Amino acid sequence: MNLFEKLQQTISSTLKVAPAKITETTRDEDVAAWDSLGQVNLIMALEQAFDIYIEVEDFGNLNSVPAILEFLGKQGIA
Amino acid sequence: MTTTDLEKLLSRQSLAQLRADISAGKSPNSPAQAQQIAAHAKSLTPSPRPLRLAIVHTYTSELLDPWLDLAGALQGLAVHTYHAPYGLALQEAAAGSALLRHAPDLTLLMLRREDLHPGFLQPVAGLRAEAQDALRAQALGRLREIVLHFRAQPVGHLVLTILPALAKPALGFYDAQAESSEAQFWAACKAELGQWLRQSVPSALFLDLDEVLLQVGRSSFFDRRFWYSSRFPFSAEAAGDVARRIVAIGTVLGRPRAKVLVLDADNTLWGGIIGEDGMAGIALGPDYPGSLFVDFQRRILDLQQRGFILALCSKNNAADVDQVLQNHPHQLLRDGHFAARRVNWIAKPENLKSLAAELNLGLDSFIFVDDSDHECAAVRHALPQVEVVQVPSRVIDMPTCLDQVARLEVLALTSEDGAKTALYAQERQRRDLNNDIERSGGGAGDYLLRLDMRMHIELAALAHVPRLSQLTNKTNQFNLTTRRYDEQRVRAMVLDPGWIVADFSLADVFGDSGLVGLALLQRSTPRNARLDTFLMSCRVIGRDAEAAFLQALLRHLAGLGIEGVQAEFLPTAKNELARLFLPSQGFVADAQGIYWRDLRALAPRAADEFPIKIMFDACAAL
Repeated sequence: MNLFEKLQQTISSTLKVAPAKITETTRDEDVAAWDSLGQVNLIMALEQAFDIYIEVEDFGNLNSVPAILEFLGKQGIA
Repeated sequence: MTTTDLEKLLSRQSLAQLRADISAGKSPNSPAQAQQIAAHAKSLTPSPRPLRLAIVHTYTSELLDPWLDLAGALQGLAVHTYHAPYGLALQEAAAGSALLRHAPDLTLLMLRREDLHPGFLQPVAGLRAEAQDALRAQALGRLREIVLHFRAQPVGHLVLTILPALAKPALGFYDAQAESSEAQFWAACKAELGQWLRQSVPSALFLDLDEVLLQVGRSSFFDRRFWYSSRFPFSAEAAGDVARRIVAIGTVLGRPRAKVLVLDADNTLWGGIIGEDGMAGIALGPDYPGSLFVDFQRRILDLQQRGFILALCSKNNAADVDQVLQNHPHQLLRDGHFAARRVNWIAKPENLKSLAAELNLGLDSFIFVDDSDHECAAVRHALPQVEVVQVPSRVIDMPTCLDQVARLEVLALTSEDGAKTALYAQERQRRDLNNDIERSGGGAGDYLLRLDMRMHIELAALAHVPRLSQLTNKTNQFNLTTRRYDEQRVRAMVLDPGWIVADFSLADVFGDSGLVGLALLQRSTPRNARLDTFLMSCRVIGRDAEAAFLQALLRHLAGLGIEGVQAEFLPTAKNELARLFLPSQGFVADAQGIYWRDLRALAPRAADEFPIKIMFDACAAL
């Protein structure tokens, strides 16, 4: 499973949407469940799935698949 | 939790095992893990019972959902949660609100200190004693308003929480001995709140989140990132624990009430096997590992204070176990702590059945605690209605292994509860007296006279409401109609002049059995009454008390000008014992099975026909 696929799985199971709905360009406004509560759930799920700690300053930026992929890359996760 | 731990949890084939693992510290550390485990737990429960929960909250509560879902799944419950709109939504207690339409079994108020008074935005430690008292009175006054506002509506059991402070006390190390101590201020608030709820608000519980704080620790309780960015205070650990407590309340409300804790002896009350290791060889005493078993026994004594009665069930030579109970210097549970004992080589399911018969209690009120895989499996298989708790294989987990058994929580305590084992011990003495009289050729009448019984009947006793509600919910055998009423309903009947609420307590030479009987009568017309409920605790069966009570009531009704009483017997799986009671008391059934007692045609029996001295106290009435 590549990084995108793992992220796709994490987002779809956290927000309870079909994996096909999550593409490499999906952002929060494309998914109804990706609201402010969904965002908090997603942050917790990302920490768990990728074994990282996310600083509160980064919470707001992680609002799209490309942004999360870039963030994970900076954390040394490929 | 590591991936290995998670895989182990996901391979478990029983909810009991899953609960035991999680209670021993293998708890999920993210909502995603909670969801995974919940999905597995749900696959083990084909038809979960619903638990309808409503949450009124002044901070984010929606993020508790995966944790509530998990805690519910572990108890075989499907949790359906309604979250009121963010804020102190008092309009949710108005008729027709979304909350009331949700028909909750349980309504949770999740409040913060500052909701109670804006003064809490400033340090309480800065106030003089009188100002602190005034602040406390105002804050509690506000809290009472909120509680009563919801309690006035059918919101189910009302559970109140107040979020602990994120910060340590204002005065730091010195706070504990400071005159204006914040910790003491809040302790006084809690004590006053607790007293008020206990005395005045039926079906309500203050769920103290400070206990969660102590359990997980302040630095682990809050996740400041989510608190400051999203108003969600709880870390995964705290969220899991809060949800577990909430669901435990739902479990207690929705399942038959647990009453008896049946304990194994070897490797449960002490380490090792008394028959092989002997008095000196078993682990029980001040040093490891015996110290773990002493603490486990200490915990059992705590549970006894909650009203659970204890029974012993051990495959052993009776003399060996007797020796520990009587002579071991570190044994805390002595003979008098057990209401009944089965120490023999008979199969445990058989012993449990005979314990149930001796104690006059249903097997669904039993919790069976044992270390053996075999015994636990045998009881689960033969008696699925008995809740089985297997003690952990790691002895270090012994002292806390019963802490998360949901049905060992109680939502109300009456003065009867703490003394329950003493009551059962009195009952053993009565049986002994009866046996003595039978051996010397005397009859049942001699036995009852020798008991020198005194019955105290009270009408509309408001102070008895918690116990009366408890009786309607717990009494299964001598119960004509098995109608269950929460405290609110009973209280309403006590206050309603259209109802007659009568109860009795019974004392004899061996002691006081406490409040054991209840009748609820509705005055259906000026000249007629309807017996809605008539029940008596199995504790006093076989002493003519039920007849003495009913006939005393009939005399009272006749005195009020009532000419006839309607009654019914609604059969259940458990109340066979009461089937013939109404006909034996002069009630006659019509074609529909409705009973009628004509008080003019057949006068009630006189008090002196019974071996019981009756005191009829109508003064308790308002």
